[in-house]
Amino acid sequence: MASISMRSLVKTYGDFTVIPGLDLEIADHEFVVLVGPSGCGKSTLLRVLAGLERINGGDLYIGDDRVNDVPAARRDIAMVFQDYALYPHMTVRQNMAFALEMRGMDKAEIETRVKRAAGLLHIEDFLDRRPKALSGGQRQRVAMGRAIVRDPRVFLFDEPLSNLDAKLRAQVRAEIKALSQQLRTTMVFVTHDQVEAMTMADRIVIMKSGIIQQVGSPEDVYERPANLFVAGFIGSPAMNVLPVTVAGDRLVLSNARSVQIASLGSKRPAALIEGATVDLGIRPEHFEVAPDDPNAIAVTVDLVEPLGSDTLIHFKLAEINAIARVSPDLRPKPGDSLSLSPVPGKIHLFERETGEVIR
Amino acid sequence: MSDAAPSDRSLQILNTVLLVLAGCVVMVPTLWMVASSFKQSFEVTAYPPTIIFTPTLDNYVALSETTPFLHYAFNSMIVTMASTALGLILGAPAAFVASWTRITWPAIVTLVARMAPGTLFLLPWYVMFRQVDMIGSYWSLILTHAVITMPIVIWVLIPFFDNIPRSVYEAAQVDGCSPARVFWRIALPLVTAGLAVSAILAFVFSWNYFLFALVLSNSDTKTLIAASFNFIGEGSTNWGALMAAATLIALPPLILAVIVQRWLISGLTLGAVKG
Repeated sequence: MASISMRSLVKTYGDFTVIPGLDLEIADHEFVVLVGPSGCGKSTLLRVLAGLERINGGDLYIGDDRVNDVPAARRDIAMVFQDYALYPHMTVRQNMAFALEMRGMDKAEIETRVKRAAGLLHIEDFLDRRPKALSGGQRQRVAMGRAIVRDPRVFLFDEPLSNLDAKLRAQVRAEIKALSQQLRTTMVFVTHDQVEAMTMADRIVIMKSGIIQQVGSPEDVYERPANLFVAGFIGSPAMNVLPVTVAGDRLVLSNARSVQIASLGSKRPAALIEGATVDLGIRPEHFEVAPDDPNAIAVTVDLVEPLGSDTLIHFKLAEINAIARVSPDLRPKPGDSLSLSPVPGKIHLFERETGEVIR
Repeated sequence: MSDAAPSDRSLQILNTVLLVLAGCVVMVPTLWMVASSFKQSFEVTAYPPTIIFTPTLDNYVALSETTPFLHYAFNSMIVTMASTALGLILGAPAAFVASWTRITWPAIVTLVARMAPGTLFLLPWYVMFRQVDMIGSYWSLILTHAVITMPIVIWVLIPFFDNIPRSVYEAAQVDGCSPARVFWRIALPLVTAGLAVSAILAFVFSWNYFLFALVLSNSDTKTLIAASFNFIGEGSTNWGALMAAATLIALPPLILAVIVQRWLISGLTLGAVKG
């Protein structure tokens, strides 16, 4: 178990810079999820941590050790790969024992550890099978078992759930979460799935183009996104973003100034000057149906998506597509009129030019 | 009645015709050689050729009586097996490194060396081996034949190594393997089919290689293929004995060629990754 420290870390491939200089501290025992769209550098960062890629600048510490030039074999980390990367010519038992054999561990101790890990993951019955005789979910468990059995300083997961079907993914997700609480080992988990990030992480690191956009707890990044990118990435469906103009204590749609969309109330940020145009973010779940509110926005329903637990209403606000998540009891039809208003205190304002949040 | 569409059926017919033609091109000389080895000397060169004849073992008897055939076979076996082993020992790690690093130019250099005519190397080698007094030794043949076997091993194995998911190598590194251990413990066991195929191909090419043995061997170390040249004289050639020798020389590669079919289908990496 160890903390991880990345200081001004740079990774390039020839002239192409993937990570231009990244600082991140991960505490001992912490479960950190790196999340971002494809090509954002999250998997590269994980491979750098694993020692599978050399860094081109900065420093990387695992515990107190500077590991810039330490090969993967000597970093004492375990990694679960996206495609599991099991050794096909070995049985499950041999797969799990392999890393321990490489460290010259006593055979009896290896057997004890393999059995313990197999018990933990409920794979005792498959120990003498080869990977090709296992289902995707079973292979995934073996890959985790291979990591657990080593009792490493750090666990790395590279999108380990992406090859599982939706039901199994939810199940294994919960199992990994439970395991992390049981093992109390530092874990770094890479995913592009924000649901995985939100449900598993102690802290989420949201990346774009090799740059960290925000680091925070799941609640933080959801409730207080640092910029438009984070606001759009976290939450499904994505946050509605509308260009608005400040008019007194009101926010009116920039392209339809007669439509007041929200009120700033008494907590008006100092940076907001009269007549400024900013982006207003409202999450779909932060609209409420308010037929009696004189300030509510009257919208025409374009599309209704009943999800069972709730219903998504698609509509346009001055030609901009927007979505509201409402109670499943409400069953409007396309063409119906609906009065919606943002939940007070749940609106987000972003600078137009930079996309940074205005607080 | 066939369910195939007319265009499918004509394709099948074309396929069959082409296969038969290719089979004829390959098999007719082979069958001719085998048949000739069982003919009397005058029948071998008769024109028009005799199709119906009384088979005789005279040529095989003459072969065993006039030449130390088994000794030459032993020489061939020594040279072929050692050069194949050397090709595997040098070629397998080279193929692994070429695949791992994706740097294939050294492998291309070996291929160029393999494709260049043997006569290009022959004179320098002859001079070199004479200077170290190795002409006529097994080692001169083994080392020169390794130039034939090693590129085969490298080029057969590179796609086999390429086929192993990179993440499997990386998992082994994370598990504590040095690159040498990744090769020995992970990569090599996963390319056993490729090793078998490359070994058999290297064996066949070395076994059949004529030129180096003709020049670099002596009467003690002469290989079968070089010894068979003895039957070709300036005035007369014993075609029957030559055909008998050729038939026997062709047997080991033919048997191995049949075996190689079994190894070509490689399913060992199944289950390494998703799917």
